[in-house]
Amino acid sequence: MQQISLNQDCVPVENTLHIQLGDVTCALKCSDSDVYERLQKVYCEYETEQSPDITVELEAANRLPLEKLEPAVFKMKYIPINGKGFKTSNRLMSGHYDPARRLIKLKGERPLLNPDLKINHLNRLLVLTYYTACKHKYDNTPPAMFVHTCGILRNGMALLFTGPSGAGKTTIARLCSALDGELINDEMLLVSRPDESSNEIIIKSAPMLGEYSPRRNITAPLRCIFLLKQGANCLAHRLDKTEAYIKFIRQVVSPACIGQKDKKSIYSMMADFSVQVTGSIPMYELEFSLDVKSLWKTITDTEKLLGIKENREWANI
Amino acid sequence: MGKYLAQSKDIIWRRIGDDIVIIKDGGISTHVLNKTASLIWEMCDGNTDIGKITSNICKRFEVSYEEAYADVNATVNILTNANILK
Repeated sequence: MQQISLNQDCVPVENTLHIQLGDVTCALKCSDSDVYERLQKVYCEYETEQSPDITVELEAANRLPLEKLEPAVFKMKYIPINGKGFKTSNRLMSGHYDPARRLIKLKGERPLLNPDLKINHLNRLLVLTYYTACKHKYDNTPPAMFVHTCGILRNGMALLFTGPSGAGKTTIARLCSALDGELINDEMLLVSRPDESSNEIIIKSAPMLGEYSPRRNITAPLRCIFLLKQGANCLAHRLDKTEAYIKFIRQVVSPACIGQKDKKSIYSMMADFSVQVTGSIPMYELEFSLDVKSLWKTITDTEKLLGIKENREWANI
Repeated sequence: MGKYLAQSKDIIWRRIGDDIVIIKDGGISTHVLNKTASLIWEMCDGNTDIGKITSNICKRFEVSYEEAYADVNATVNILTNANILK
């Protein structure tokens, strides 16, 4: 009979994965071996030996069939409880945080924890975990915050393409190789606060799942941000700081930690972060069509204005 | 002239250069105040009445009291109607 070692919470020790979320290390424990195996596969690039800042124990439940679950998930709302937990409006998921042990216990319907299914809530749970850990590790001032954006690496620097749903982030990701770039992530990235002396902002990939999420763990300095707008032509125009702030703040993912009810302090953190970022980095509104050649030229021309030396010629497209 | 004005508690505002950007209701509504409106906004601390605000505007800009009062009053009405001043 195979002997397995169990930790005190009765999860097999081998079902524990340490992953890097920016500057936070999270230990993911999952008693469901099938879910654990899937998580290990998608998060492998972010595995780390570092000891965790926070632990998440996932318990998968099988109460609803998938066909009933899918429509229910779209109406699901997270409700904070007592400052130390949450539940969802339709009871499909719940979480409890023990701050003394830095432990989040999450119970959810199995498909919500399965990275192979589109209805998974893993991104949301990782964001919650990150900010909960930052509350303690960084005295509630995270060094980087999550932004809804597609990030591309070009010439050693990151370009962010952001905008509301349907603006074209996934399209940009799809066109990435034609844009002579490497996709960092098409869903969400960690954007640091500007460095106090150099004003540099660093982009870090995180294990966020999107349509095209590659598995590489990339860190790069940020060159500029494009706010996407679909149109008939490819045009980029520089936004003034007020416009940039108003548009950028809407793309910042809520930095709520588990159980946090105080919306004003959440919005205040988003506002301060947005002031810092848009005050340090140029932001452009990028109207674009699916004419890849024009899109590439518009982006390259913008980079040239920003002083990037172009070292590749556009050829044969 | 004894009307005291205070900023609403359920808004988030930040100064961006000469402008003040006010976000209300979690971002559902956004208001951008120009340079003059921003100065008026910053004086609405709950302890300063509209007369005092007008006097400060007159000192800042070369305008008559009557002209300044009309502008301050108009600005305050707009902000009050938007529920960002009380």
